[in-house]
Amino acid sequence: MVTAIPFPFARIVTTAVVVAAVVLFGMLVDNAFVITLAGYTFAFSLFALSINVMLGGLGEVPLGQCVFFGIGAYGAAIGMVTLKLPFEVALLLSMAASVVAAALIGMLTLKLTGAYFSIVSWGLSGVAMVAALNLPDLTGGPLGMFGFPPITLLGIPLSEPRAYFFACAGLLAGAVLLMAAVRDSRFGAAIESVRQNPHLARSVGVDVFRERLKAFTLSAPLAALAGALCVPYTQIVTPEVFSVSNTVDALLMVLLGGSRLAVGPIIGALIFSIIPYFFDMDPNVRVLVFSGAIILVMMFAPGGLHQMAQALVRRFSGGAR
Amino acid sequence: MTGGATPAVRATGIHKRYGGVVALNGVDLTVDVGEVFGIIGPNGAGKSTLFDILCGITEPTAGQVSLFGAAIAGVAPHQVARMGVGRSFQRTAVFGEATVRENLLHGRHALARHSVLGRALRTRVWREDRDAFEAAAADVLALTNLQADQHRLASVLAYGVQRRLAVAVALMSNPRILFLDEPAAGMNGRESADFVELIRAVAPGRTVVIVEHDMTVIKALCSRTLVMVDGRPVTVGAPTEVFLHPEVIEAYLGAEDD
Repeated sequence: MVTAIPFPFARIVTTAVVVAAVVLFGMLVDNAFVITLAGYTFAFSLFALSINVMLGGLGEVPLGQCVFFGIGAYGAAIGMVTLKLPFEVALLLSMAASVVAAALIGMLTLKLTGAYFSIVSWGLSGVAMVAALNLPDLTGGPLGMFGFPPITLLGIPLSEPRAYFFACAGLLAGAVLLMAAVRDSRFGAAIESVRQNPHLARSVGVDVFRERLKAFTLSAPLAALAGALCVPYTQIVTPEVFSVSNTVDALLMVLLGGSRLAVGPIIGALIFSIIPYFFDMDPNVRVLVFSGAIILVMMFAPGGLHQMAQALVRRFSGGAR
Repeated sequence: MTGGATPAVRATGIHKRYGGVVALNGVDLTVDVGEVFGIIGPNGAGKSTLFDILCGITEPTAGQVSLFGAAIAGVAPHQVARMGVGRSFQRTAVFGEATVRENLLHGRHALARHSVLGRALRTRVWREDRDAFEAAAADVLALTNLQADQHRLASVLAYGVQRRLAVAVALMSNPRILFLDEPAAGMNGRESADFVELIRAVAPGRTVVIVEHDMTVIKALCSRTLVMVDGRPVTVGAPTEVFLHPEVIEAYLGAEDD
């Protein structure tokens, strides 16, 4: 079970404050770059949530999760440019494609656990990248795909910064609600039992492989949604979306924010994009800083930064458990 | 056996080989419905292997197991659980990172029916699941005397308490038959006496099969017990009788005196 903020009242207040802050940010901030970056951060947070279904949910490190992110990005691009479909339709088709891909990949790889699963899934992302590089008719090859028509989602112009921000925020909020429902459901309890003790889970009637496969096929469309929503920001899709560094970025967000908290990945994503922006960091410096931060977090707060915050609150409120 | 009724467990000609090692060499046994049945023997007698085969975790090399008349050959372990089989293991007994209450929730898996959407929309099916869980959890917590610990993490509980929790997890699916693997192993006298009381309390209305090393537990609980030595059955009968069997005295007591 994921640790939740203890009192429903406190949770409602926290949620209200966060929603108000997001709405005010979206309405009051005028810097188009900042607001677009914030929207992109929310879009990428969906990818971190997808990673956390595997990491926090199943206890697996899905190094190849970028395959589904890439399917979303390429799906949106190919749908719009090659097939001349509206963005919404391309988005839904790419999410459906990611579910099919996850079911197939999962059936082949989810018997594996731990490092074996991570390595095989990493290998598959390499296969995806080579495929994207070498299928120029489908993917545009090494140059990738660009030159999209103005992108709208159900009439919302995603090329307009404020609209993009609110669209991404809304979809992210929906995804968080879905994750919360999953966590509190029979399915969520089943994957938690599988993560903690697969032997005992099987003995109380959990079909371990099936629950793992279900979790994997749930994580895929979240990643695809993230991939497609990043297209209006990046305006180009290259084979680099299949790069493992893409996955590692999202993994670091999850670890920073905390994998045991439903919104942990989002906290991590915010830190991940705010800090480099404020300190105007060179990408190479960024890698150094975040690598260092991860080592420190893993050493002193293996549950992520929210665990540190909870420990502080507990210390100052004098409550001991 | 009560005239022609389907037994809870029927095992015939069970053999198990691991490579060249013969773990079980022809075990037959019948456990009647409602019986508390013991399996006892010195270390290495094949008790735990037999346990795993009877409750469907391991497939025998040869032989047949039926539970309530249904053969379990080729049935996956999680499906055997759904046939009304509760199991409590010696080692992987509880969900360590979960609280006692969450452990009980995991134990409820086979009986819950709601979907994620059902949870999100709080449908009737979800409410029924929730109410049934609350009722079952209250009963099981009272029975196993775990109310005071219900919000503590399983991993911080004392060993004897963890063993009670393991039984509680198994009871959450309201099993027709409960398999217990060395429940009293590593317990002190007080804990194992409490444990005997617990099993007495949960036994009415179900069948219990206990694999145990400790004779006092078997004597206190079981109507009949099977004694195993070196992978084969020596005798079956009331505990007081089987311990008078010359081969049992020699093999079992001799081994314990080492």
